[in-house]
Amino acid sequence: MSQKPVEGTQRELEAQPKQPVARELTRTGPVFRPDVDIVELPDEYRVYAEMPGTDGDHVQIRLEEGVLSIDGDLALGPDPAWVPLHREYRLGGWHREFQLSDRIAAERISAQMRDGVLEIHLPKAEAHRPRRIAVQTA
Amino acid sequence: MAWVGFSSPSGAAPGDLFERLRRDLDTFFDQFGGQQPRASSGVEPPLALYESDDAYILTAELPGLKQEALELSVEGPRVTLRGERRIELPSDPKLSVHRRERRGGVFRRTVELPAPIDSEKVEALYRHGVLTVRLPKQAQHRPRRIEVRSH
Repeated sequence: MSQKPVEGTQRELEAQPKQPVARELTRTGPVFRPDVDIVELPDEYRVYAEMPGTDGDHVQIRLEEGVLSIDGDLALGPDPAWVPLHREYRLGGWHREFQLSDRIAAERISAQMRDGVLEIHLPKAEAHRPRRIAVQTA
Repeated sequence: MAWVGFSSPSGAAPGDLFERLRRDLDTFFDQFGGQQPRASSGVEPPLALYESDDAYILTAELPGLKQEALELSVEGPRVTLRGERRIELPSDPKLSVHRRERRGGVFRRTVELPAPIDSEKVEALYRHGVLTVRLPKQAQHRPRRIEVRSH
């Protein structure tokens, strides 16, 4: 197998976990790289991305030239009147991208967001699904 | 800034407190343009503590948590957050894992607040993977407004 079906793009592979990613020009404030799990099932791949503070209305998934990109903005943040005493995490948006191979049926990709976890379903293209071939006996 | 002690999961060894303080300072300086990690990776949820006039507000990033897997307890000025993060993957025997970055497991964090709170009125809300706990201050610890009268 020459290419994995879901692979980080070069830019994303260079970023370290939990590090800010290169800032996009259209966005203000820091953007972070969500932790992901990628699994394979017989008929699809699934990506789970942890994006706390974001909901479905603030997530954008795009597929362009074989690159799947996930963007999320904060839907929930602290009241500006609160005085911070201690902070172990920073607030901002999320961004990550993956290179998809042609083994994925791009037009059937679906996603849902629940409790700050984005779940993306990437169905395999028909030709790449396991197929059972009946062997006939004479 | 009030002194706030955050204990590590294994209990607050003094070294940990200094380590955290140092990290806080790093975070502070980081806001002026550095490229530091956003939060420590792992099962322990990253926390933030805020103060308003009448309450302390504790927040924790806990994506994908089942609410029944979380326990919150208050003892004097000490708030303990305990729970388990389960990373649920489809239970298909043909499942194969390509990448695994999310961390599951049991966690426990204790926060020492600068002043005792009214434990009867604590409210917790879990939304979009973020836990927000409102811890009202006891009446005698709230700022009091003293009216200045003029003749």
